[in-house]
Amino acid sequence: MSNIYLYNGDYSSLLNLIIELLKQKINPDNIKNCDYEPNLLEQIVNLKLDNKNNLKILNKMPKIILKSIYYVYLSNNENKELLIFEFLKYAFKYKEDVFRYRNIDSINEVIKIIKYVGSEAHKLKGFLRFKQVKNFYYAVIEPTNNVISILATHFKKRLSEELWIIYDKKRNIYALYDLKKVIYLKESEFKSLNLDLDENEKNIEELWKTFFKTISIKERKNLKCQMNFMPKKYWKNMLEMEDRI
Amino acid sequence: MNLKEKLEILADSAKYDASCSSSGSTRNDKGLGNVAYSGICHSFANDGRCISLLKILMTNACIFDCKYCINRKSNSVKRAIFTPEEICEITINFYKRNYIEGLFLSSGIIKNPDYTMSKIIETIYLLRNKYHFAGYIHAKAIPGASDYLIKKLGKLVDRMSANIELPRDDSLKLLAPDKKPDKISSIMQTVKDNRSRNFAPAGQSTQMIIGASKETDLEILSKSESLYNRYSLKRVFYSAYIPVNKDKLLPSIEIPPLVRENRLYQADWLLRFYGYKVDNLLEEKNPNFNILLDPKADWALRHFEEFPKEINKSSYYDLLKVPGIGPKSAKKIISSRKVFKIEFNDLKKMSISLKRAKYFITCNGKFYINMGLFQKKFVESSLLLETKKDVSNNKEQLRLTYE
Repeated sequence: MSNIYLYNGDYSSLLNLIIELLKQKINPDNIKNCDYEPNLLEQIVNLKLDNKNNLKILNKMPKIILKSIYYVYLSNNENKELLIFEFLKYAFKYKEDVFRYRNIDSINEVIKIIKYVGSEAHKLKGFLRFKQVKNFYYAVIEPTNNVISILATHFKKRLSEELWIIYDKKRNIYALYDLKKVIYLKESEFKSLNLDLDENEKNIEELWKTFFKTISIKERKNLKCQMNFMPKKYWKNMLEMEDRI
Repeated sequence: MNLKEKLEILADSAKYDASCSSSGSTRNDKGLGNVAYSGICHSFANDGRCISLLKILMTNACIFDCKYCINRKSNSVKRAIFTPEEICEITINFYKRNYIEGLFLSSGIIKNPDYTMSKIIETIYLLRNKYHFAGYIHAKAIPGASDYLIKKLGKLVDRMSANIELPRDDSLKLLAPDKKPDKISSIMQTVKDNRSRNFAPAGQSTQMIIGASKETDLEILSKSESLYNRYSLKRVFYSAYIPVNKDKLLPSIEIPPLVRENRLYQADWLLRFYGYKVDNLLEEKNPNFNILLDPKADWALRHFEEFPKEINKSSYYDLLKVPGIGPKSAKKIISSRKVFKIEFNDLKKMSISLKRAKYFITCNGKFYINMGLFQKKFVESSLLLETKKDVSNNKEQLRLTYE
């Protein structure tokens, strides 16, 4: 039988569990979210957690390592919990030097995931499109990784005097900025959202599509290269690519 | 003329300027928006070039008659002019929807250089002070405009540029008789002398047209090298000549020299990040790059006796000489070899491409290829094959955003 440890669904409960496992020198076969359904060869093990002290241990950890494990947590990797566990185990031993050990598979995997998540977030900082609806700006994203919090932090600085909502259609999460802070809501927590476009919106969208078409040099046409830099999976939420899908 | 028609004309006539970079600025003003040091690409046009800024001309009317330029006064093209308010409105509306990082404003020359420059300044002043726009702005300095105007513009923008257009003064005289080389260099000097956190913090750039005049790659690249050294330019952009006009002084070509342009970019990178000098790459008796091989691979083959480089021992700059290893890979290698001995397998794990590198390196004394094949002839033909594949896969378009 393999031993599966469950956490409470959120990030801090995952870290709490991982610290406890490390403290007790337990090597879990897997770590999963609480809605996980074990198969016949797996059993769930419950661990009593030290809520008070566990997370404090991480305060001593270099910032870059904390950021790294957060990015892994945001990734779509199936084994991300176990990878964070492995990575933290080494991070306690090697501190910042942990990034040098590319010959250790779990560390190497984590470094690749960080890059993957970071690069998707960076792309969407550019590719995300807002529309002006009656009282606010509204954007839809469908990212592979759960990068909405990285984007919300970016736009909180950039569009600090506008009301906006970013909707992750894949995960059904809304990030809502109310001019002070960002709050995250599930669809069920909304009454209803009026998404009627502002009257001038079509004109501005038309201007953008005109610019997009015009700025390309026809003698240099290179659709393959365009797709390399701007993967097709993002097109459906990009105004200027609508007619190419 | 409505706004859409104006935008169509004034974006169309701005598209030949290669620069669209939005990186390198550290300004931190209050207002609408901000700058991202790394730069952000917001879209990619059908030609594969990054769209980061709203790249437009204020007007395409022009009193100059540069042979290669679509907007020269002797051409009969539709002319348009934006008002400052119109430019601000479009910029703000695009920015709030996250279409763009900011504005790239250039212009044809109307009345005289000072008048044109004042109009550009008026627009950007409005954008910064009435609309409180704190995003990225790149503006063209108009050659021949007074020094005090250049200084005024510098305080408003993130980046400023003046295009050198053609590397040799006599080419400029021939093809752009109204442009004076000393006017361009005096702008560069002013920007260099005044650059600070509040004056063009993202520095200055320039552009040269490739293939409209007879310069060799050696002449072009030597010009770039001297510009980097004298004026601390951030970037020199190379723009393959596209025949928009017919003129007996211009070459008659059908296809723009895109591969040549790419070779120049590759070499430019070697100057700025790899520690090469122009002298290392080209010489009088061999003044042009090999179209079939990138400049670094070409250099490596000509200096085959310097190889192989041992991954676990070579210095940073020696690693950079290996075809296929760039600054990122070299840094990864140096970081990791402090804690373990790197094998070929580890390089693969670290996503370091061995496609070209495998012919030029050893790991702990071992070759990747059969040692008997470590011969210039064999390596050369293998590299030529790889490059051919890349070209036919259309992979060699340029990303112009990152510094």
